[in-house]
Amino acid sequence: MSATVVEGRRASVDLSVPIFLILGLLLSVLVILPLFWIIWYSFTSDGGGGFTLANFAALVTDPTLVRAYAIAIGMAFAVGVLSCLVATPMAWLVARTDLPGRRFFRMLITASFVTPPFLGAIAYEILAAPNSGIVNVAFRSLFGLDSSTVLVNIYTFTGLVFAIACFTFPYVFTLVANALDKVPSDLEDASAILGGGAMTTLRKVTFPLVLPAMLAGTLIAILQSLTMFGSPAIIALPAGFHVITTKIWSLFQFPPRLGLAAAAAIPLLVITVMLLRAQKAILGRKGYTVLGGKSGTPRINTLGNWKWAAMAFVLTVLSLTIFLPYGAILKTAFTNTAGDPITWETLTLRHWRFVLFEFSATQLALRNTFLLGILTATIVTAIALVTAYLVTRRSIAGAGYLGVLATAPVAIPGIVLGVGLFLSYANPTFQLYGTLWILLIAFMTIELPAGYQQMSSSFAGVHPELEEAGRIMGASRLRTLWDITAPLLRTSVVAAWCFVFVGTIRELSATILLTTANTKLVSVIIYDLNESGDLGAICVLGILLLVASFAVVYIANRVPVLGGSQMNARG
Amino acid sequence: MSFLELAGLVKSYGAVTVVKGVDLSVEKGQLVCLLGPSGCGKTTTLRLIAGFVAASGGEIRVGGQVVSSAAGTVPPEGRNMSMIFQSYALWPHMTVFQNVAYGLKLRKMSSEQINKRVREILTVTQLLPLEGRYPGELSGGQQQRVSLARALVVKPEILLLDEPLSNLDANLREEMRFEIRRLHDEFRYTTVYVTHDQSEAMTTADVIVVMNDGRIEQAGSPEDIYARPESEFVARFIGGTNILSGKRISDDTVHCDGDFILNCGSGTLAPSGRAIVSVRHHDIEISENRRWETNTVSGRVVRQIYLGSHRDYLVSIPGGETVRALSPVDVRLPVGSEAWLHFPPNDCRALAR
Ligand SMILES: Nc1ncnc2c1ncn2[C@@H]1O[C@H](COP(=O)(O)OP(=O)(O)OP(=O)(O)O)[C@@H](O)[C@H]1O
Ligand SMILES: [Mg+2]
Repeated sequence: MSATVVEGRRASVDLSVPIFLILGLLLSVLVILPLFWIIWYSFTSDGGGGFTLANFAALVTDPTLVRAYAIAIGMAFAVGVLSCLVATPMAWLVARTDLPGRRFFRMLITASFVTPPFLGAIAYEILAAPNSGIVNVAFRSLFGLDSSTVLVNIYTFTGLVFAIACFTFPYVFTLVANALDKVPSDLEDASAILGGGAMTTLRKVTFPLVLPAMLAGTLIAILQSLTMFGSPAIIALPAGFHVITTKIWSLFQFPPRLGLAAAAAIPLLVITVMLLRAQKAILGRKGYTVLGGKSGTPRINTLGNWKWAAMAFVLTVLSLTIFLPYGAILKTAFTNTAGDPITWETLTLRHWRFVLFEFSATQLALRNTFLLGILTATIVTAIALVTAYLVTRRSIAGAGYLGVLATAPVAIPGIVLGVGLFLSYANPTFQLYGTLWILLIAFMTIELPAGYQQMSSSFAGVHPELEEAGRIMGASRLRTLWDITAPLLRTSVVAAWCFVFVGTIRELSATILLTTANTKLVSVIIYDLNESGDLGAICVLGILLLVASFAVVYIANRVPVLGGSQMNARG
Repeated sequence: MSFLELAGLVKSYGAVTVVKGVDLSVEKGQLVCLLGPSGCGKTTTLRLIAGFVAASGGEIRVGGQVVSSAAGTVPPEGRNMSMIFQSYALWPHMTVFQNVAYGLKLRKMSSEQINKRVREILTVTQLLPLEGRYPGELSGGQQQRVSLARALVVKPEILLLDEPLSNLDANLREEMRFEIRRLHDEFRYTTVYVTHDQSEAMTTADVIVVMNDGRIEQAGSPEDIYARPESEFVARFIGGTNILSGKRISDDTVHCDGDFILNCGSGTLAPSGRAIVSVRHHDIEISENRRWETNTVSGRVVRQIYLGSHRDYLVSIPGGETVRALSPVDVRLPVGSEAWLHFPPNDCRALAR
């Protein structure tokens, strides 16, 4: 009998050490190199190339930079507050009242995560540009006013805040609605028994319990808008002002001032890190863990006569954030010019023909976009999978370090990463500028944290004993991975892949600094076309992007081979 | 030479040592229970045997061959062992049949052979009608039996169980206890069973190994452990007991703190230091007046509970100690009254530790 034991004493080849080293190196290069060059360049004079502190001095003395930062921060806070003010009552109505159609509304808002914010900004350009905007045109023709009358103007600071808030409010909404789902109803019941009226209970019990979720969501909205490039570039530039992301981009225009751009990126990085830490601190606080606890059936409040007011509020918000923008995009894609009334005469497939067959840049851009989307999704999912395995199973000392590296890019805003990658790879050594490689690197870095988070939480869901049971039954480590871990993770892998794919094809902030004529992407073409005012073509491209995103999500949800996964709302 | 031997086994995580030199010999076909309080290192010892954790010192030998030592570890898949996990660890994406067949597939058996072996074991464990179900569609007890079947079907040399019954409700636990013992008697695997439930250990084990703080306190048959504990820890942990202490007079005589003399029928006292004696609750006799010459002391009743079949007394005796005694129901002493306790010498166990 002991023969089997001896037989078992073969030295199994352990691949985890080489894999660990390779991954460690790869992740370090991805994360550390761009940051290193940003810091290096920020101390380098744009004139001669020597060491200087002038770039940092300019951060305080150059009024255009200071102004851009001030406006960006003001804008971000305004967006955060607006998102929170709109999203919190929405979330409560949808999660805790008998509002008709609340499940549908919730699904709709969750689905609107897929909208690229820059597309939303363009939709609002179509709707609310001072002269040609549909709302203004309709208003004038309704009251017979002349063309100097302007009802709404998106090219203002207020307009910018509004347009961005439309696409950041789902972050707050989702967090608060989920938190409301989890407020144990016995806490509320306790208050009601003690004589607290519905309003008192809401104010004294429910509200404080979801406050952390509100704050955390607001911080995400602030962070998103602060680091956003697309929407400000579309709305602020015509309005004649810069936010910090567009300012950094402008420093790349001829004559490029790379040192100043690098220095200007650093405060953005620091603010991002601070906001993320604040968010983590808020969500990590003791009060919030109550929410994670037992989840009794949430108490549903009856709206009674308030139903209609609530309905009007929800529909108004949804019109502004979903129906109107999507309607504007659809209309523009199928009519000659945005302002035309919709009749049989004005309907046309002209823009579709132009985009799909005549405009030479689109085919290349579509190909590049989908190629990069698929490559990035596949590579990131693979890296995230292996990293998450090594980290959660702690099969090797120092694996935790990989997890830190894989999460770190969360704190690097897209535009900052763009600067860093440009400085790292657009030099004579690498000469990657103008190739798809530099974009691939950028997307991989940007999407890694999301992919990693997905994979590590799903690994945590696979009990290690399931793998150990495979081992003790006689399967090697690899065999166990293949027979047991892989099938159990399939749905999460598919979900992560979709997640990354959708995120990649809409990326603009880093792309805008790294793209060239040969490496155009759909998002960049949309931005370019916006400069030339070709809204019809933009809307066609926007629809193509949205259709691709939804198709991928749909396929992942439906095809049983892929596991029919449940896509999580993107955080 | 025993079949499974642990020799000076040590496991440290960084600065903390959780298994501190365990020596244990298990004969072929024996069922050994590792019993001890939470955190004493039972699971760690079991996982050392399975090869999931590498030893920091000492050796594990199976059939004379070293499988674990500080120098190297045979991986779990090379040990021909089976394990039943506390969480059952049934693979949720495989049916009952597939779960059980997996180990045989790895052994490259023909599908007829696999079918035959799986059917056999499913019959023994009364799972045959459920073979097409997924684990999520089974009750706790059924899941438990699937994990048993899965572990047994590969005919392991050693079967390891980590608190296999802790997730079951009380009735089912009782039933499964006998089921495990029955299957063990049928197949005679060398079995190491971890539990912190002493009655589980008493009913299933050939040998009980009481562990405390990373060490073995005592190993022996259930009767040995219960009737002849060697240390205060074992006496207290198994069955509950009264510990009386005092000055040592001779090898088996103690002058207790309450100023009375105890003669012990078994055990040896520590050669120096405080002398301790264990007397089980139900061995103590209680009466309202003095009926014994020796091994007796009087105290005051502090609590009395009627439990139907007997009465449960707490009596405080001189010297500050409180003694718990179980008496027949007809001995009726009100709280606050005087009570005479008798510790029959044959039931007084002198403890060395
Ligand atoms: N990977 C580890 N790293 C550090 N300490 C550990 C590790 N695994 C176990 N320990 C410690 O070793 C000690 C023994 O753990 P073990 O799981 O063996 O206890 P146990 O006897 O099985 O307890 P229980 O009855 O609660 O299951 C505990 O104090 C535990 O905290
Ligand atoms: Mg344990």
